[in-house]
Amino acid sequence: MEALPQTLLFGILRSGLYALTALGLAISLGVIGVVNFAHGEFVMLGAFIGFWLYLTLSGVSGLGPAVSPLVIVIGLPLSAIVLYAIAAGVYRFTLRPVLRQPELNQMLLTFGLSILAVNATSIVLSPQAKDANLAWRFDLLELDFVNVTFARIAAFVVSAVLVGATYLLLARTKLGKQMRAVAQNRLGAQIVGIPIDRVYEFAFGLSAALAAAAGVMLIFQTQVSPFLGLGTLLKSFSIVVLAGLGNLAGVIWASLLLGLAEQLVSQYVPGGAALRDGLFFVIIFLVLIVKPSGLRR
Amino acid sequence: MRRNLIAWAVFIAAVAVLPWLGVSNDRYLMLLANVMLMFMTLALSWDVVARTGQLSLAHGAFFGLGAYGVAIAHRTWALHPLVGIVIAACAVATVALALGVVTLRLRGIYFAIATLAFAEVLRTVALQFPDFTGGTVGIAMPPLFDGDRVLSYYLIGAIFVLALATSLAVRWTRLHYAVTAIRANETVAQVMGIDVVRVKVVLFVASATLAGLAGAFYMPFITHTDPNDAFDIGRSVASLVFPIFGGLYTTAGPVIGTILMRSLEEYLRVTPPWKEGYQVVYGLVIVVAVLFMPRGLLGLVQDLRLKRPDRRWAWRFSR
Repeated sequence: MEALPQTLLFGILRSGLYALTALGLAISLGVIGVVNFAHGEFVMLGAFIGFWLYLTLSGVSGLGPAVSPLVIVIGLPLSAIVLYAIAAGVYRFTLRPVLRQPELNQMLLTFGLSILAVNATSIVLSPQAKDANLAWRFDLLELDFVNVTFARIAAFVVSAVLVGATYLLLARTKLGKQMRAVAQNRLGAQIVGIPIDRVYEFAFGLSAALAAAAGVMLIFQTQVSPFLGLGTLLKSFSIVVLAGLGNLAGVIWASLLLGLAEQLVSQYVPGGAALRDGLFFVIIFLVLIVKPSGLRR
Repeated sequence: MRRNLIAWAVFIAAVAVLPWLGVSNDRYLMLLANVMLMFMTLALSWDVVARTGQLSLAHGAFFGLGAYGVAIAHRTWALHPLVGIVIAACAVATVALALGVVTLRLRGIYFAIATLAFAEVLRTVALQFPDFTGGTVGIAMPPLFDGDRVLSYYLIGAIFVLALATSLAVRWTRLHYAVTAIRANETVAQVMGIDVVRVKVVLFVASATLAGLAGAFYMPFITHTDPNDAFDIGRSVASLVFPIFGGLYTTAGPVIGTILMRSLEEYLRVTPPWKEGYQVVYGLVIVVAVLFMPRGLLGLVQDLRLKRPDRRWAWRFSR
């Protein structure tokens, strides 16, 4: 059982990016009440912005792979701002008109946007997956009981900070309180004078900005491809379902659970690497059978 | 209703005589005709679920399940494809029943999420079990009817007629009122005495079985498949784009939508710069349709027709 501490640590580290991505999805679902099937594409676009930045910076600065800290410092705000703008536009011109339409139309719309984004990216850029040869990706931090790559630690730290900041925003600021109010009671929020339309737009932009940040951190760990959105989306879905739809507080616990479960399964179950990628579905299916309202409600 | 029935009878007759209009010897055109009927089946079956207000993103997966059902039945028990198709359809129905019973009693969101997750998990898991599915190499079987594309055309034609009949049956029986009520408001439908969950589950299982039949036909027709092809999400997308483009909640819509969009796709796939990215058109069609023409082409035509009588009257009076 020597591998246990390592497995647990990897599981926790893994859950960082999960929480970051799923929180955005939970916000758009909880506040606006729309399932955003294009959430994974926000992550994908964020990753491409990070990747482009890495190519540009490593060429200009001559730093080569060592450009990592710069990619984070510049890439996070840049991709967040770009994706916020994109999401605000998407909200105004496509989502807002269907808010009063049946659920089916809303889901079709975001699903259509997702297909549009994936294939447009694959035509304009290329369908091939690309590697960012960043430092940290394979650099090991050797402690006495585990070896971890810097990339994982960086991703976890950034995720933890951003998730924490988002919770602070929700708990303390006026906009955050307005968002929670809208999530709790749409009509009541309108009656007390909350500009619900502006709150929706901000919530959607925020969810995309969080996804974009996750995308930038993703390029340290994996290849960038136009098709990485779907897997990301589904794992986020399983977390959101586990937490209970629209339950923002449960997202952290649910992410930890998925991260740990995936790591434990791939480590200890024979043939587990194969099962790991199907685990999100097992979670969704089990939750829907046992307690569809989510574990903590 | 009678006029529609006659129109559909004429359409089916036209489909039936098509191979004898000089097409039967052209293997490429026969391939297109077979595939067209296959996608019409998918589109019709997806629309039946949509009528209950549910978004199924797993029709491509049921298609793939049907394909693998036939292939595995052939490899394991050396069953004739025609027997295999029946077995595959039963297997698909069972899986759809399990998925439907769990998810369809909940809000529509859960169903959409669960079907998408189901579709993707089948693909990834199938890739990990090469002993069973052939892995990335895939699985092969001898051609259907020794490669006779006219005979296979009539087989998929029969499956298509089954889908058409299902779609029309939902339209022309009391089910039509049930699904319309469910789509408008589930709670109200429940209060009116409709067994909402049962209607949704029954239609979902029927629809998934039809998609499975289409896949079960596809496998021996194409003779080879692998998880990435069988469980290609693109097929789920196609099966929902075609009805949306043609006109949701109708029978003619999915048929017309398939003919037009599938022809366009055939052209785009071989034309740069679209190639593999031709699905960008699908995304665009969905977004534009939802925003500007929620009832598809049929709705557009109807609107035009409704406007025209006024003009005709004006013309008559002016004389």
